[in-house]
Amino acid sequence: MTDIAHIVSRYGIAGYPGQLSGNTYAFPVPEGDLVSVIENLKGIHGLPLKTVAATDERETHGTFRIYYVFGIPKEGIFLVPYLNVDKYTQVFPSLTPLYHEFSAYEKEIKSFFGLLPAGHPDAKRVILHSETFPKNLYPLLKDFAWDSKTTLSEEEREWPEFQTYAGEGVYEIPVGPVHAGIIEPGHFRFSMLGEEMLRLEPRLGYVHKGTEKLFEHLPMEDKLKLSERISGDSSFHHALAWSQAVETLAGVTVSEKARILRVVYAELERLANHFNDLAFIMLDTGFSFGGSHGTRIRERILQWNEKLSGSRFLRGVVMPGGVTKDISTETIDELQNDLDVIEKDFSEVIEVAEETVSVLNRLKTTGILDRDVAEDHGALGVAARAVGLGLDARADYPYAEYQNIQFSVPTEETGDVYARYRIRVREAHQSFRILHQALTMALHAEGPLALELPSLPADSQAVGIVEGFRGDIVYFVKTDQQGKITRVKVRDTSFINWTVFPYIVSRDVIPDFPLINKSFNLSYTGNDL
Amino acid sequence: MIFFFLLQLVAIPVLSPLAVGIIRKIKAHMQGRVGASVLQPYYDLWKLFHKDEVISEDATWIFRFAPYLIFAVSVAVGIAVPMVTAVPAAFPGIERLSFLALSDFLVVIYLFALMTFFLALLGIETGSGFGGFGAAREMMVAALAEGGLLFSLLVASVIAQSGNLMGIVVNLQMMPLETLFPLLIAFVGFAIALLAENSRFPVDNPATHLELTMIHEAMILEHSGKRLALLEWAAANKLLIFIALGANIFFPWGVALQADALPGLALALVVFAAKAAVLLAGIAVIESTMAKFRIFRVPDLLFTSLVLGIIALSISITF
Repeated sequence: MTDIAHIVSRYGIAGYPGQLSGNTYAFPVPEGDLVSVIENLKGIHGLPLKTVAATDERETHGTFRIYYVFGIPKEGIFLVPYLNVDKYTQVFPSLTPLYHEFSAYEKEIKSFFGLLPAGHPDAKRVILHSETFPKNLYPLLKDFAWDSKTTLSEEEREWPEFQTYAGEGVYEIPVGPVHAGIIEPGHFRFSMLGEEMLRLEPRLGYVHKGTEKLFEHLPMEDKLKLSERISGDSSFHHALAWSQAVETLAGVTVSEKARILRVVYAELERLANHFNDLAFIMLDTGFSFGGSHGTRIRERILQWNEKLSGSRFLRGVVMPGGVTKDISTETIDELQNDLDVIEKDFSEVIEVAEETVSVLNRLKTTGILDRDVAEDHGALGVAARAVGLGLDARADYPYAEYQNIQFSVPTEETGDVYARYRIRVREAHQSFRILHQALTMALHAEGPLALELPSLPADSQAVGIVEGFRGDIVYFVKTDQQGKITRVKVRDTSFINWTVFPYIVSRDVIPDFPLINKSFNLSYTGNDL
Repeated sequence: MIFFFLLQLVAIPVLSPLAVGIIRKIKAHMQGRVGASVLQPYYDLWKLFHKDEVISEDATWIFRFAPYLIFAVSVAVGIAVPMVTAVPAAFPGIERLSFLALSDFLVVIYLFALMTFFLALLGIETGSGFGGFGAAREMMVAALAEGGLLFSLLVASVIAQSGNLMGIVVNLQMMPLETLFPLLIAFVGFAIALLAENSRFPVDNPATHLELTMIHEAMILEHSGKRLALLEWAAANKLLIFIALGANIFFPWGVALQADALPGLALALVVFAAKAAVLLAGIAVIESTMAKFRIFRVPDLLFTSLVLGIIALSISITF
């Protein structure tokens, strides 16, 4: 870890004395200086914004606080300027006019805390539907009665309004929230001109479960289970991000063995999901060969997951302090051999697909994401790498044992469905590469599977970041005066990438929408929380 | 004679679910799956006939009536198509019987158009967005597929000097082989029209659940129970009729010319089964080995079908 004084001087924040806490360097910023500090960190130094978390600290510090978490790639530390928001006026300056990336976070803060982002051009309520939840309901306030039921009479219900387009032949198509396939609920409002999509307005929030509030109230061991259940396909990565945040808070470094096993499980989860995504991309073009073989190969990984951990989705495998499941030497050999077979199998299926002109024709130039749009919204993961932004938390903020493993971060330039498809294919090969190295290292790894965690320090915070199969997943965890966890801010990749989504489809026809949607495969539950 | 009439009447509706089942079975095998029994479409129809229906409050009489009409038309067209035997040769005196006027290839084509018209009405009937999509796309596809279908059958008609499907088969069997060359080109055009008319790849995906991409399935999305069963069954009938046309008009050999000699009929049945199996397998192979086209590439494909028909026609005229 680099010397903190060095970092402070490098980023010109010496004027704001702060504190090292966990893997964060947090410093208060007066409201008047906020814009210049953010401009300095993001604009001048180009630090990536990782999450924005509001907290209700009226009891402890007499204010609300908003933490702006910036990552410093390769440094293992996060710069966290924070703003005290007056508990009476409840207004904070919006940074959206400066950088659009802040928009989604600020809308979320307004919806869940009732703090007003002054200057935000479109600060409407998100996730909490006005036909279901009362108007002045701010569930993340500390005095919110979280275990009570809210009711809304018929007159109080407000039905959503969508942006409408007018003109000859323009019409609207409502799709969802209940869909024909077995997928998550979300409503899409299309404004159409013939087959062409003029605009898409997604409406999410149908699977809001009060996750962040539950994090404040559930006992410690249940918090882990909660993180595993945020997005079922990323059970392991969410639990890993949570575990890393808690370990950082506690100042514990897990054993070498646990770190290596975490890499193994993480890559197995990535492989299973990449296979699945590739299969469904091919299936949605109607290429049933790729669809059935992709899901078949995914099933082989899921069966390995079950064999190794007892859970096809790797639940109950990771915990703060280490992992729960060891892998025996014989099993490692068997897995190494089978991975070779699976990779060969996978390559053959992809080869067939790549030789099928009709598939390529559907994938290429469909659903193009512009690099500008991606940068403005802070797009993440597969979507960002498909426009040449080589963001990967495994490389930028190495965790577990990734710093000792050779792998590359593939990028593509075209930003279409095919680019996202290629990213997944190439990453799957990288995952095989990583798995072979990690499994070899696991043969000689020492140390206990899991360590006992000491009690957490008071009034501290830490960031847990992992690269899930969609992109990075960030947990911001804060403790109170008693060292109890008082706020967990979860930022799934989907929360950001959903904001990019409406900008992609406007050059496409609606029969291609399911394909574009699948090429992003965003999580609804990870967004709605 | 009555026997022949009844045979033609029931053959298509009885066998058509089997044809659908065979395609699905072959597709399953090509994807490395076991797949459902080839009889599954029969079970599905049975199940649907025993289910309750949900009918939208906004539905008019068309919603209730059209499925019967569509099914009836599909069965009626079935009578007109030579499957195992082309009867006019066996009973020369009955050529003027009214049901054989049904065998005129133009009548058959426009009876299909009638089915399509009512299907499209069903699509927009309840005002659902998906149905509207389906209907609009179906109209586009139907209008463009009509040319290819018409011209490819016209080639056979011109060569055989007959507008009657039965007559075409009989006369083609007598023709010297070399005069039939344009038929091969016409067949390619016909095959494309077959795929388009029957909502098959690469035009439509009969197996999809994605409403936004559907054509045929979107139009019948609002139907349930026995009306859905009739619509599904009619679609299967249409498919088998097209298969029979493709197998017997363009490859007329093996169709029995004597409708009263049982051994000859049995042999003809075997030959037809073999030809139909090849065509069904062809559809299954196409659906397993390629992706669906983008919707705006479909017109290119259908235009190709038309052009092939015209080329074949000009060759056959100059012969």
